[in-house]
Amino acid sequence: METTAPLLELHDVSKRFGGIQALSGIDFDVRPGEVHALVGENGAGKSTMMKILAGVIPDYEGQMAWKGRPVRLRNPRHALGLGIAMIHQELSVMPELTVAENIFLGRQPLAGGVVDWRRMFREAAAILEELGFGHINVREPLERYPLGVHQLAEIARALTSGAELIIMDEPTSALSPMETQHLLELTRGLAASGKSVVYISHFLEEVTWVSDRVTVLRDGQKIATLDADQTNKEELVQLMLGKKAAFIEESYLHGRAVQDAHAGARPVLELEGLTRPRLFEDVSFQLHAGEILGIYGLIGSGHFELGEAIYGLLRPSSGRIRLGGAPLGHGPRRAIDRGVAYVPPSRRTGLFLEKPIYQNISLPWLAKISGFVPNVRKEIEVADQVTRRVGVRPPDPLKEVAFLSGGNQQKVAISRWLVEPPKVFVVSEPTRGMDVGAKEEVMKILRELSEAGVGVLLISSEPETVLAASERVLVMAKGRIVREFVGETVTKEQLLAAAAGEMATAATAR
Amino acid sequence: MADKPQDTPNPPSRWRAFLVKSREYAPVWTLLALFLFFSVYSDSFLTWENMGNILNQVALLAIMGTGITFVLLTAQIDLSVSYMATLAGVVAAYYTAAHLPQPWPIVIALLVAAFLGWINGIGTAYLGIPSFMVTLAMSLIASGLSLWLTRGRILFDLPPLAETLGSGRIFGVKWLVIVAALTLLVGHLVLKYTRFGRYVYMTGANPKAAELAGVNTRAVITAVMVIAAVTAGLAGVVGIGRLGSATPTAFDGMLIDAIGAVVLGGTSLFGGVGGIPQTVVGLLILGVLRNGLDQVSVDIYMKTLITGIILLAALVFNILFAGRKEA
Repeated sequence: METTAPLLELHDVSKRFGGIQALSGIDFDVRPGEVHALVGENGAGKSTMMKILAGVIPDYEGQMAWKGRPVRLRNPRHALGLGIAMIHQELSVMPELTVAENIFLGRQPLAGGVVDWRRMFREAAAILEELGFGHINVREPLERYPLGVHQLAEIARALTSGAELIIMDEPTSALSPMETQHLLELTRGLAASGKSVVYISHFLEEVTWVSDRVTVLRDGQKIATLDADQTNKEELVQLMLGKKAAFIEESYLHGRAVQDAHAGARPVLELEGLTRPRLFEDVSFQLHAGEILGIYGLIGSGHFELGEAIYGLLRPSSGRIRLGGAPLGHGPRRAIDRGVAYVPPSRRTGLFLEKPIYQNISLPWLAKISGFVPNVRKEIEVADQVTRRVGVRPPDPLKEVAFLSGGNQQKVAISRWLVEPPKVFVVSEPTRGMDVGAKEEVMKILRELSEAGVGVLLISSEPETVLAASERVLVMAKGRIVREFVGETVTKEQLLAAAAGEMATAATAR
Repeated sequence: MADKPQDTPNPPSRWRAFLVKSREYAPVWTLLALFLFFSVYSDSFLTWENMGNILNQVALLAIMGTGITFVLLTAQIDLSVSYMATLAGVVAAYYTAAHLPQPWPIVIALLVAAFLGWINGIGTAYLGIPSFMVTLAMSLIASGLSLWLTRGRILFDLPPLAETLGSGRIFGVKWLVIVAALTLLVGHLVLKYTRFGRYVYMTGANPKAAELAGVNTRAVITAVMVIAAVTAGLAGVVGIGRLGSATPTAFDGMLIDAIGAVVLGGTSLFGGVGGIPQTVVGLLILGVLRNGLDQVSVDIYMKTLITGIILLAALVFNILFAGRKEA
């Protein structure tokens, strides 16, 4: 690519939150018609940088220039006025409104003070046509369409508002492989038509495919800006991680040998034809004591709901769950008493953020730790023991969970179940949003549990997570188990292909 | 910060700590300020007799407020308490007039309240009707039952126990104040020192997380609705003793004050934060304000307006600082 005057430039930009240096001395530029990717681990500073670009954070050090002129963005509205639009990670669409309304949200064309529906529908259809999605009916409620279209509506909204620079934050994290492909092509199309895109993603294959240049951040510093066709996934991972643990690198780069070490042993958990319409269907498998069984699926595959059903949060409409040979009753209390532990995919759901650590840990065990009157001293003692075992920092059971980092919050969620070792441990997405070090620590705890004879069910939509610890992997798609990997080397690509292949056939079968 | 978790510790900033502290202590400062104000501007305010009056004036609210504290802690609300109180008073008087042996009229009155509270709980926790809707309907039912039982008349036959507790004294202290203090004390002990109390706080703080930890949150919510109804019933029973009669609308007007006192004290409308000590402070704020406005020469027709403004200010404060739950 020839060098052109940049559309947007950052010079020596730094940002500090309290005692934490989120960004230091960043130089960054986006050229017209360029897709510039931003990669880095969680906490590397991507979010902060994106927020500065979009005007969300106005108080930073350093300079920004837009089309060669110095500018200081005051707020997102100011940024939008200049032509900088942001597509959020959590979509900001209104599913109940029509596709067209979502595209023109807050800027509906008016005629005599009322919304000019015909013009809005016409213009919305025109822009979608232009983007290559002419088959979408803009008069339908957005919720009738899959997530990919929601994303599309956001992009169309950005374009119709006159954006020249579009910031996409993890745009494909919730999309199916086909939708992802569409989005990537659309992004290239935007660049070809002269728009610029800042593309933030964890998915490095996508990044190298879609972008012209890639900037790698680590610990708030810019490590490198590379031409996308001069680099590859491996190099990016190296740059992102620096000298950090080899663990995740291995599961990013290589396959992992899985084997069925427990063939013939008595299963601790058995599922037989477990079905709950529209969530999961005819799911059967066995989990052995001391085994880590991974269940991988794309978001919406029903694997998280399966975890909820095992813990008794969801009542299956048919099928059986047996624990140690005997049927497991319904409800979390029953599950806990029978030795089933569960960590939900979202920490916000499972933890009491504004309550101290010890209360978070003791709640399922109050009746056992003490009688009718909770013995706070004993609760703190128990909490102190288990949090020290998993290494919660700071090791202060009286601290509110909200004050802990994400990784430490997750350790609290897990350590609760070490008070009385479970027989079966169902963990959903245990390492989402954590840095490499914290991920490895959580995985180590799971491995130790399995070595102590606990059957671990590791449910995730991140291939790396499943591959990092599982001895056997089941792949779910559209609520069914579509593939089992045992006794072979499994790569991330194979997992994705198994989950996505079924998606494709399921889609064509309609 | 966005929902995306970052693996960096969130240091407890001084500003945040200050906000939390102000939220906790603002009601106490309010109380002290009001107390000082009235002490300075009125000769008749700061006397032992008047202090006793204040306690006496808030006693019924205190009994009712104890139950409401439980309900608010689970992030629910009960709009039927004052009507429950009226109904309990009417039932107790009705069966006394019907010559049912004592203490059965009082027992029946409390059981009726408990039953209606149980329906509130079932509707909220098991049928999923928002508690303000269920209890709104229940307030009409309770009110309707009161009217039906009395045919709109005033009942003067009261249980002797209700008369004693409502207007009697022991060692110079009003029984009413003692009953109120005991109710608050029991409520406090239950909330702070029992497993059930912990479940109440945790259910309010995050119902989903409580369920995941094996807490039967539906049973907890049902229980707090029963507790609120029973304390309201108790307020009604001793209340008729204080008034000397049972009328079909006797305590209906107490609803706003009872909920207001609890919220004024700092118990969160969003659950999980607060408690009986806060409710005591809230009751005293309301009591001092009402009483004090009588002592200074304020236009009598402005009393309600001033009380309303202070209540609104407290609510705004409550909402503003509840923001920390989202943090």
